[in-house]
Amino acid sequence: MCPGEVEVPEEVRRRWEEYEKRAREIRRRMADWDFIRSQPPRIRAALELYVETGDLRLAQRISGLVLEEFVELIKKAGIRTGL
Amino acid sequence: MFAVADTCFLIDWARFGLRDLLFGLFEVVMVPEQVLAEVRSEDTLRWLAREMGREKLQLFTPTPRQLEEAQALVRRSYAIANIRKLDIPEALCLVIGREFGYVVLTENRGALMIREVVPELSGVVIWRSLEVLKESMKKGLVEVHGEGDVRALLDRYQRETLHIFPEEDLENAIREVLKYVPRGG
Repeated sequence: MCPGEVEVPEEVRRRWEEYEKRAREIRRRMADWDFIRSQPPRIRAALELYVETGDLRLAQRISGLVLEEFVELIKKAGIRTGL
Repeated sequence: MFAVADTCFLIDWARFGLRDLLFGLFEVVMVPEQVLAEVRSEDTLRWLAREMGREKLQLFTPTPRQLEEAQALVRRSYAIANIRKLDIPEALCLVIGREFGYVVLTENRGALMIREVVPELSGVVIWRSLEVLKESMKKGLVEVHGEGDVRALLDRYQRETLHIFPEEDLENAIREVLKYVPRGG
């Protein structure tokens, strides 16, 4: 199967967008912004990206940490996982 | 019943006081080497090592073919607009789950999304911690006597693991469990 062949159906895409909109609001509310702003630039950028997108893998890569270390950091920043 | 677990699932589940519930549902839970490599904390590693010693968890070494399939799935996730991208550990879990019919234990949104849109993955069964808790209650592995008990268990998981369940999924899970348990509480 060729890459790019799959298209996300409109109804599914809309459902995901709605979910992400609600999840983003919750992450923004939970986040300890003082903690996030006190972090080194790379970590701060990764945490901000996670709050805005919920994209754990991309944020983890930006942080330079392994997954469990990054998840621990997310929780220290007041943000619960699962969204 | 067998399962294969990814990193996001294990690192949250390891914090839960009732984590042994997992082994009431599954005979063995596979942990791919690439998943184990992402775990760093002493507590999680000690739990994983102990359960591997008890043969409740089993280290899974993927074959070169399975790794290639996982790499192809990762590349594919990058080619699909609007989904979260996969990394090798969760892609491997999907490949292993599909090949052997194991339940895939993951919290990874990318894995959930790609299963929804890629036809070859449509038969893969994915459970998050919410489904594991729901099934544990339905099977009576943890005693609940009504809505209060069901909510208390789910709240306990969220509190102890600092993991949050999406509200709609949480309410659906509670309704489903209540069909199986006596009312009370």
